[in-house]
Amino acid sequence: MKEIWTSIRRTPYQSLSAFLILFFTLFLSLMLFVSLTFLYSSLNYLETKPQVTVYFQTKTPETQIFKVRDELMNSGKVLNIKYTNQNEAFNIYKQDNKDNPLLLEMVSADILPPSLEIYAKKPIFLPEIAEYLKKQGDIDEVQYEKNIVEKLLILTNTIRKTSLIFFSYLILMSIVVLTTTILFKIALKESEITLLRLIGATNFYIRKPYIMESLFLGISASILSFGIFVLLVLYLNPFLASYFKSISSLSVNVFNYPLIIWPLNYIFFTIVFVFSSVFGAVIASVASYIATNKYLTV
Amino acid sequence: MITFDKVTKKFPLGNTALCEVSFEIDDNQFVFLVGQSGAGKTSILKMITKELAPSSGTIIIDDMDITDKNFSQKINLRRKIGIIFQDFKILIDKNIFENIAVSLKVVGAEQSLIKSEVRRVLELVGLSKKEKVFPLQLSAGELQRVAIARAVIGDRNIILADEPTGNLDPKTSWDIMKIFKKLEGKRTIIFATHNTDIVNSFQKRVLVLKEGKIIKDLKKGGYEL
Repeated sequence: MKEIWTSIRRTPYQSLSAFLILFFTLFLSLMLFVSLTFLYSSLNYLETKPQVTVYFQTKTPETQIFKVRDELMNSGKVLNIKYTNQNEAFNIYKQDNKDNPLLLEMVSADILPPSLEIYAKKPIFLPEIAEYLKKQGDIDEVQYEKNIVEKLLILTNTIRKTSLIFFSYLILMSIVVLTTTILFKIALKESEITLLRLIGATNFYIRKPYIMESLFLGISASILSFGIFVLLVLYLNPFLASYFKSISSLSVNVFNYPLIIWPLNYIFFTIVFVFSSVFGAVIASVASYIATNKYLTV
Repeated sequence: MITFDKVTKKFPLGNTALCEVSFEIDDNQFVFLVGQSGAGKTSILKMITKELAPSSGTIIIDDMDITDKNFSQKINLRRKIGIIFQDFKILIDKNIFENIAVSLKVVGAEQSLIKSEVRRVLELVGLSKKEKVFPLQLSAGELQRVAIARAVIGDRNIILADEPTGNLDPKTSWDIMKIFKKLEGKRTIIFATHNTDIVNSFQKRVLVLKEGKIIKDLKKGGYEL
């Protein structure tokens, strides 16, 4: 630690530029990572909601409804279908309007339509399912969140592609700038490295101080970027809370384990921090490895 | 033992540093390599440390054939060798103790051994009281003593000295040679120089180089440029 600190003190501007570029990369990566996680989890959330709801005319016989349900189930595009008959619909209505006796008096089970709530395997099947339902007889109305799902799909795909390009560029830029910065530092110690090689030092022995310093800068930058990220999230928390108020929780699947990201929690923050630190450490190590290679040919 | 057998070194642009050089140096022998600048003294030293590979011929050091370009024991070879340079190559951001200790640190020696060995060699070179001092506070002669201490510490049984007195005044040069006198017979020492006074006073084996060839192999000094 003392040697790392001494090295930083002796070349403060190179160290500062390495730190700033690492911070910039890590902070942007963190924001991208979290934004993508929220987008994916929002998509997952929408996929778990009733995606198509079809209301039949009140006189439609149950056999007709079940026929439609069975055909949909056999199509291979549907995950699950929930049937709500008129009595169940009335119970739901009563529950929803229990504080409004006037509304309860005006409605009976006879006037409420039976319905099917259809959960598609993938959002892209939604338009097909909706079209199929519209062609059936005895249909009163077909509802599905076409626009929201489609927009979210387009947005997620666009962000995934652009962030991949942006991410790759960020990594490349960081490694190039860091390598150059470390090369400046190493150039000052070229004779020391030559001496160490001539007295039998291994490549690892020579690389170690540079890698350790880079790791220190990488982890420091990840701590700072994570700290700023947390402050930003705390600042935006009231806005996020009102934005997601109708959503009880959002999660993404990580190796088949549902990781809850909303409401914000310590596990998610810890994973974000670990991701950021490992990413910073890897970038810093790769850059210092490349930079030291040049001087290990003696 | 160090054996050079018909060693030739040609550089890509065509100039020849060494031409069919052959010699043997026994363990613990003191040998002067003499000759004018460009005669090939440094090339021989660089081949022993495997900084340069020969274009042809064979080099054997302590039963290791190091001729092959891809010789895999380079690190082990270098750990047997201590090098003293004309420009000292002292690490200015490290104190004297650390400068000498680096020679043992690279081989993974324990801290207790490093402490005792550094103190022993500091005594040998007459710098016992300066272990905490930084290089900028030392004279050229003292810096060369540090370099000698760094070269002889530990199990380094081959000492290569490349014009170690080249940057020193005559008095300091003789002080440095006194240290070499103490090492005589305990290590294999190859001493490249063109200081005729030093060579003649030591009365040791002298290999005389001219234009990349050994023109004389004198058993006991007595040489003029």
